[in-house]
Amino acid sequence: MSKILEIDNLSYRKNSKTILNHINLSLDSGKIIGLLGENGSGKTTLMRLIAGVNASSEKNITVNGMTQKSKIKSQVSLSDYLDGFARSSRIDDIVRFYRNAYSDFSDEKYKEISEYLNLDGSKRLASLSTGTRGKLVIALALSRETKLYLLDEPLNGIDSMSRKKIISSIIRWKTDDSTIIISDHYVTEIASLLDDIVIIKDQTVYEVDSVENIQMKYHLGIEEYYEKVYEGGLAR
Amino acid sequence: MEYIDNIPIYLQIKEILYHKIISHEYEPGSQLPSVRQLAVQFTANSNTVQKALKEMTEEHIIAAQRGKGNFITSDETIIGELRDRIVKSTLDETYDKLHALKMSNDEIIDSFIKYVKQRDDDHE
Repeated sequence: MSKILEIDNLSYRKNSKTILNHINLSLDSGKIIGLLGENGSGKTTLMRLIAGVNASSEKNITVNGMTQKSKIKSQVSLSDYLDGFARSSRIDDIVRFYRNAYSDFSDEKYKEISEYLNLDGSKRLASLSTGTRGKLVIALALSRETKLYLLDEPLNGIDSMSRKKIISSIIRWKTDDSTIIISDHYVTEIASLLDDIVIIKDQTVYEVDSVENIQMKYHLGIEEYYEKVYEGGLAR
Repeated sequence: MEYIDNIPIYLQIKEILYHKIISHEYEPGSQLPSVRQLAVQFTANSNTVQKALKEMTEEHIIAAQRGKGNFITSDETIIGELRDRIVKSTLDETYDKLHALKMSNDEIIDSFIKYVKQRDDDHE
């Protein structure tokens, strides 16, 4: 299997505070991977570093064989929570922005996904419920035709019906050769989607394993395993 | 979908598909839904569904037809064997539990006959 992502000894400090420390990671392409860690553990920072949004001077991140930041950007679709858009923007305006900003944005894919999620293009950002806004974020992220998708807590604060639709659209529109990394601090709902998990703890990668191995090795569900790791009650 | 969280999903998907095949919800010889359709139905990812199907192919319960997808065997013997296997594993557990209560074989059989009658009456 080819590698979609390789990170070699990445550390990141912000305002003299260590956020990530000696991160090493190597992920196979084609999978759905859960990036787990409590709030403030550095999941978002890691995603932003992978996507090339946060500045890091070193070349220790390789995406799909590429290390040059400008090339990586075209390989990665990072979910964007749309905070940069005016509250009066209509969904259609945001879609137009995406179409102009990303040459890999597929109108056809957006049309399918937005129909499935019942997104009305004439609605303004300010009028959207949290659930609908979450659906829009996912529809936009998945409509780019890239190799790596980084979905940062896509279910956070979203009602259960919308969560189901979002999960289902991830399954429906993931292409076989693309890889999706989903971060979350609450695992149960996405557990059945995941091939592998990456646990971030103490500013670094605590564990990378397949969900299946964890179930076989510890006879634990992912949620339970993850909680035990954080409580420090698991002998390795 | 509700899964048991400490058992690999692909094994649980296999169990569900077995039941659909044995109960003829999926007819012998008929085509299975596509991997993607099954993935959506099972809220699982396609790699997991593919793993379940790969094992079922090795067990000759399904077979791929080039360019068409996966088909359920039309061989009733194989389906019969599958049913026997599931009946056995279901009974294994009950038998072991009752045996652990020091019940004799006759007592186990008697209580099971009584139980089935009772269930039938409850249904009427």
